[in-house]
Amino acid sequence: MTRWGRGRSLRHSRLQLVLAAAAIATAVALPVVLISVGGGVSAHELANLQNAGYQIVVSAAGLHGITHAHGYAAQILSISGVTAASPVLSVTIDAFTTAASASPVLAEGVIPDQFIPTLGPSEAGLFPSSLPLGDPTDQVHFAHGTYSGAATYDVIVSTPYAAAHSVSVGQRIVLSPVNNFTLGTTYNVTGTFGVPPTVLGPTGAFAVLLPLSDLQTMTGYAGGSAAAPDAADTIQVAVAGSIATDPSALDQLRGQVQALFPYYGVSSLTQEAQQLQSASGVLTGFYLALSSVGLSVGLLFLALVLLRRVEADRRSIGVRRALGIPGRSIAAEILWDGAVLALLGAAAGVLGGYLIVEALAAWATSAVQEAAQLAVFDPVILGELVVGVVGLSLLAGAVATRTALRMPISEALR
Amino acid sequence: MSERTAPPSIELSAVVRTYGAGTPEEVRALRGVDLTIPPGEFVSVAGPSGCGKTTLLNLLGLLDSPTSGEVRWDADSVGERTDRARARLRLEGVGFIFQRFYLLPTLTARENVELPMRALHVPRGERTRRSVQLLEEVGLGGRERAFPHQLSGGEEQRVAVARALANHPGLLLADEPTGELDSGNTQAILALLERVRRDRGATLVIVTHNPDVARRAERHITMRDGAVVEDVREA
Repeated sequence: MTRWGRGRSLRHSRLQLVLAAAAIATAVALPVVLISVGGGVSAHELANLQNAGYQIVVSAAGLHGITHAHGYAAQILSISGVTAASPVLSVTIDAFTTAASASPVLAEGVIPDQFIPTLGPSEAGLFPSSLPLGDPTDQVHFAHGTYSGAATYDVIVSTPYAAAHSVSVGQRIVLSPVNNFTLGTTYNVTGTFGVPPTVLGPTGAFAVLLPLSDLQTMTGYAGGSAAAPDAADTIQVAVAGSIATDPSALDQLRGQVQALFPYYGVSSLTQEAQQLQSASGVLTGFYLALSSVGLSVGLLFLALVLLRRVEADRRSIGVRRALGIPGRSIAAEILWDGAVLALLGAAAGVLGGYLIVEALAAWATSAVQEAAQLAVFDPVILGELVVGVVGLSLLAGAVATRTALRMPISEALR
Repeated sequence: MSERTAPPSIELSAVVRTYGAGTPEEVRALRGVDLTIPPGEFVSVAGPSGCGKTTLLNLLGLLDSPTSGEVRWDADSVGERTDRARARLRLEGVGFIFQRFYLLPTLTARENVELPMRALHVPRGERTRRSVQLLEEVGLGGRERAFPHQLSGGEEQRVAVARALANHPGLLLADEPTGELDSGNTQAILALLERVRRDRGATLVIVTHNPDVARRAERHITMRDGAVVEDVREA
């Protein structure tokens, strides 16, 4: 950069330049933080959706709102292309290794051979490939809705629970719908499954998996006067190969499922992913709009600084023009100065934003910390941001350039 | 561009220059000046402050355009050319020397001299060679790396002269070149300008209040109230 100031004015000029770069850096840091954290959380949620293992989900309003889960699952399974239909009932119950060792656990009731494990890189492989829960179809105990068949009383427990309570395979534990050992039922521990400790908190980490009919009868959701018959929260539907990745085929299949249950919500994860992406795009736009206020202030400040420099350097500019140096060279120099300043400011802003996110990830409160740890610094978006700032700085510089070149030479030399 | 530019024959016809036309602050700096300056002539322009000397110089050097009338170089009307075209003519054909030197403070003496050459895209090696040679020519050999604030007034004006000569102009225009110098430096700068004019065959127009300076020219123009009131050639 060329500086035409001198002595104190040169120091003032430098201070103005530093302040202009700082204003731009501040303005850029904000969208960097918002977009990287917001984008990271969205990407994480999207990855969760894509790795869910199932593609369609049937849900109902209210607690455990799907009734006749076994029957509906069977109906869904009969649709061509469906490879699994897994009703899931989630209820918090108490587990006991002894009468005095009650521990709340998240119990999930599933049909063993329909269970769909999550496919994400951190979750895949946490479950045994075949759940060791006795009756794979959960039809023996269920007995066509009479629940009169023999229950297996098998359960598999999460590794954190097993570790915390020194439970091993082959041991017995008592599961009770309330914190009362005497109301519980004894179960055989037939296996364990892992829980990603970074994803679930302690309560979620203490979990058990058992046959759906067992959990329904234990918690009263097998039916009766007070509860929905054969209840479940959702039915997760997995489909075969190519349909899973073809949004239109998936939507068609979703329509078939919806036709079976017009009174339940049926959505495909593609839809949810699109909605998430759309929401993420809206949020990114909102972040950018919010940040544009700061950015505008920074660029106005830059324009002001460039104009002040032109004013301060009017004689030097006049001399150069008097010597015959082309206006475009002088304009290029002013624009270059502005662009370099904006580039430095934007780069500092990106770095500052990165450091802020790192600081949040290290020291913020848990929710913010968790979000900051998911931050994604997309070089394309950051590059576009920097290019945008430099482009806008050229516009700001154009104002200064116009002023410099419209000044009559004879007046500039006075 | 390293060829010497031939000095133009300059002609001003009924040149009027008005500032702030149509406003209460309207100033008629030149009121119909007719003037011809043949190539290679040494002309002094004198007159009281505000008589239009600097305006005349600006018009001769294409820094300004007349409100009416014509400025011709070699019979070619140049006063009304575009800014870019006039800038090119100035760059290639005119060397300016100002009363306050107007060196760029953040450039060294050599860089100041190189400035017009850079605009003409003279190769770096040639630029350096020529600027060092010019600084030696004006008596500043060894001071190439000095910044303007490290130079005396006389030295600054020598750098300004070297800068004015950088592109071998045919026309040298000096506006009170010795106005801020002591008598010793005044004599030195005048001797330098005369030598340059003689060696290079350039036209030299000096605006001055100083009768001693004016006396050294071969033609003396006196102005008053925006008009040429006297135009005398030495015998």
